[in-house]
Amino acid sequence: MDDISALVEAAIAELAQARSTADVQAVEVRYLGSKGSLQALLRTVGSLPREERPAFGARVNAARDELTRRVAERRAELLRTERDRQLETETVDVTLPGVPIPAGRVHPLSATVRRLKSVLIGLGFAFVDGPELEDYEHNFAALNYPEEHPALDEQMTFYIDDHRLLRTQTTALQGRIMDHRKPPFRIATVGRCFRYEAVDATHHHTFHQVDAFMVDQGVSLADLKGTLKQFASAMFGGDVHVRFRPDYFPFVEPGVDYAVHWSGRWLELGGAGLIHPNILENFGIDSEIYSGFAFGLGLERIHMIQQGVTDLRLYLENDLRFLRQG
Amino acid sequence: MRLPVEWITELAPVEASAPEIAHALTMAGLEVEATEQTDHGTVLDIKVTPNRGDCLSVIGVARELAAVYGVALRLPAGIRSSEDEPPDAAAFTAVEIEDPALCPRYAARIVEGIQHGPSPEWMQERLLAAGMRPISAIVDITNYVMLEMGQPLHAFDYHTLRERRIVVRRARQGETLTTLDGVARDLTPEALVIADAERPVALAGVMGGANTEITENTTVMLLESAHFDWRSIRRTSKRLGLTTEASYRFERIVDPAGVVVAADRVCALLEQLGIGSPVAGVVDEYPAPPQTRCLSLRPVRVSRLLGYDVSAEEVTGSLSRLGFGVKDSNGGTLSVTVPTWRPDIQREVDLVEEVGRVLGYDRIPEGLPVGATTQGADSEIAGLAEVLRDRLVGAGLQEVVTHSLMAVSPFDDPATAHERIAIRSALSEELSGLRRSLVPGLLDVLDRNARRGQAPLAFFEIGRIFVARGETHHDETLAVGGAVSGPISPRSWHASGPAPVPFFVVRGLVDAVLGALGCAYRVVRSSDARLHPGRQAAVLVEGRSVGVVGELHPELAERLHVRDRIGIFELNCGELLRVWSSGRAFVGLSPYPAVMRDIAPRVPSSVPYADVLQIVRDAGGPILEDASLVDVFMGPPLPEGVRSLTLSLTLRASDRTLTDAEAERTLEAIRTSLKQNCGAEFPGT
Repeated sequence: MDDISALVEAAIAELAQARSTADVQAVEVRYLGSKGSLQALLRTVGSLPREERPAFGARVNAARDELTRRVAERRAELLRTERDRQLETETVDVTLPGVPIPAGRVHPLSATVRRLKSVLIGLGFAFVDGPELEDYEHNFAALNYPEEHPALDEQMTFYIDDHRLLRTQTTALQGRIMDHRKPPFRIATVGRCFRYEAVDATHHHTFHQVDAFMVDQGVSLADLKGTLKQFASAMFGGDVHVRFRPDYFPFVEPGVDYAVHWSGRWLELGGAGLIHPNILENFGIDSEIYSGFAFGLGLERIHMIQQGVTDLRLYLENDLRFLRQG
Repeated sequence: MRLPVEWITELAPVEASAPEIAHALTMAGLEVEATEQTDHGTVLDIKVTPNRGDCLSVIGVARELAAVYGVALRLPAGIRSSEDEPPDAAAFTAVEIEDPALCPRYAARIVEGIQHGPSPEWMQERLLAAGMRPISAIVDITNYVMLEMGQPLHAFDYHTLRERRIVVRRARQGETLTTLDGVARDLTPEALVIADAERPVALAGVMGGANTEITENTTVMLLESAHFDWRSIRRTSKRLGLTTEASYRFERIVDPAGVVVAADRVCALLEQLGIGSPVAGVVDEYPAPPQTRCLSLRPVRVSRLLGYDVSAEEVTGSLSRLGFGVKDSNGGTLSVTVPTWRPDIQREVDLVEEVGRVLGYDRIPEGLPVGATTQGADSEIAGLAEVLRDRLVGAGLQEVVTHSLMAVSPFDDPATAHERIAIRSALSEELSGLRRSLVPGLLDVLDRNARRGQAPLAFFEIGRIFVARGETHHDETLAVGGAVSGPISPRSWHASGPAPVPFFVVRGLVDAVLGALGCAYRVVRSSDARLHPGRQAAVLVEGRSVGVVGELHPELAERLHVRDRIGIFELNCGELLRVWSSGRAFVGLSPYPAVMRDIAPRVPSSVPYADVLQIVRDAGGPILEDASLVDVFMGPPLPEGVRSLTLSLTLRASDRTLTDAEAERTLEAIRTSLKQNCGAEFPGT
């Protein structure tokens, strides 16, 4: 065995001994480095006869190539082991909880508003906000309530003074729209209303309503029924049927109480009807040409139906255990 | 109103079960809230809407039922009309109406030979079924006829009436009347009374007086059947807080044409049952009978409003069944006579509803509006509220909805107590006024949930607040408020740094909210008594205060069951909308690399950070893209009164790659300006 073969074998043996990439690095430097054994061997080429020199050079180069390859192989091998070992030590108990991300939620009523807004906006209704602190004129007089009429008894009102009151119905917005807009229009509003009510599971002095109305040529009760069907189908899901029965609200004629058939039962949702021609005329809208419908319903009621909530009081109590069920 | 089914079907002979009748009435607009089996038979509890005073009677309900089923209404038989009799009663009494506007009609009949005793059992059964207590034959018969016909009636002991005559007039100042319930009532001229020659003997349309009550000694009775102005009755009833079967009906308008027939019905029953002998004739003061109302009705209008085709025959048939007179006048337009018991029918559209009701609302198809398309949209301020809601929910806060009505709160700014809007004659302290801030409600939520051991305590609300502007005006604005106590992230096993100063938690929420809206703002020290004097600030946008942020004053916080300090903020959304809607212009993205450098000036602690930042920005010029504070250090080895602020600066030009030299020149300019303008030092440079 000549020097070259011995050197290669020694290097291979050392590589096999290497326990880490650092050991490999040391072997590499020792044999293949610029001050390494192979380089030193190459420097002896001058002492050889001229005719032997090319063959010697070729063998040294072959030895370098082999060692280079073997170093790379061994390094890769050890790298794999080392990474495996590192990953092993990094193993965690995956059943431990993760870093908590704070989870805020919108109030169930806001979630309901978002949903019904998307439905009504899709049906062409533009949302407008009216004041909660209303005046008698808009809440009652403009809505065709005769002064002192017993119909007012059904809406026990919080008065601030002779003129101002807390709105008892979001319908109060109608006059605020009609006194400056000309038909056709489709308007909706959602917000808080107030009536003196003893608070129990189904009554509250503070509650929320959505109200929608449209005025155009030839609007009929059939249009109202179809619109309610679309609205209820989108809100509750499935093919919802709408039932009308006569009811009385001073601001509509004919007046309607509507229910939808959902999940095997009739749910009374609210009041509706054709906008009373007295109202249209008071705002300079020709009731011979134009007619309109209006409907309203309780926001809490929608959510109660959807989620099976049975106590109206929960909405303003803000117990986290309720809110988290959003 | 409770009525036995058998009484209704006696007048409206329909072949139907009680539940079927209940359904039919409900679908016709007389909502039957309950069908009850009682000891006195099956009873319907009917909710009569305030426009249908005519349905506060068996006849009224039976008429609706008969119309729906298409059967003829059977009115009570055997009533002799006193108007066709000789006017003998006129020799007994006289009626004078001083104010016919308040009492358009007053009829009196006289009954002699009164026998006292109970009413017959069949009548008592019907009264009990209707929820009335049988008392005596005379009282029961007047109640019975009131239930049957809807006309309230009153019986006087004829001999107790001074001069035996009736005067309908306003009460005189200082007059009093003890009513049948035993209460002595002071009267004012606003009240309409029935008087005899000298004194009030009844509160008109509300309750009779004790001074002329029927007793066992009564031998002759004067029976009153009258029509009163509904407003007058309502005012008297409201003022005295006294609602009776009579006043309830009068408020909802009783048929003026039915006054005499009701009195005749009472007399017929008294005679049939051997309780008294009616004197022939009636004293009927009816100075100005109203004209019969006649309306035009176009059948095509009915079809157009109901939304389906209704034939002229159906229109005529429906209305006739309800007692309307219908004549074909010309060109298909109908001339409709409105019955006297239907004052609610005022114009054509009311007739449309009547036709629709009788035909059934189930016939209305499900259509959809055609015509002009309208653009659906959300309101602008609701859009802004959605941006805030998203941001705060994303920050981990729970949205709440609290009361607008509330008691005076210790968590309201006492300096603005005069801005509270009070509810007139509030029934309770909790409902006595409107919130002028969201903070008290949020703190209440914080407290309630803390008591239940809930966490995290981090809430926000977007709602209206109300501020009085003098006696007669107010501002109503949308506000966003938040309250946080303790960490927003739940406690966990993961390592976390020291808790930040609570002020900076809520300040961070304000930064987030205003950042989401993209509006420029400043934060300056404020002096709200509710808040920690050293940890509160006003938020200014374009120099106007839009809200407040701070820690609740520890003294106030002691009232709450909350362990950690409480941070709050509240911003006026109306003010934010002003700056939000102005919008932001797009800024082009620079393709050139940024140069990142930190500077760490040592600055006297008395210099607010905002001032330092302003100096940095001014000196940095357009190539200073961003400056953010990454460290604040105080304490040794720094001298007292000095803090070290580390700012991370991002420098970038929009049109070229910055050279190191350029960046260094800018940094040097910033350092120099800081040294000159706020006494900053840069040790080691």
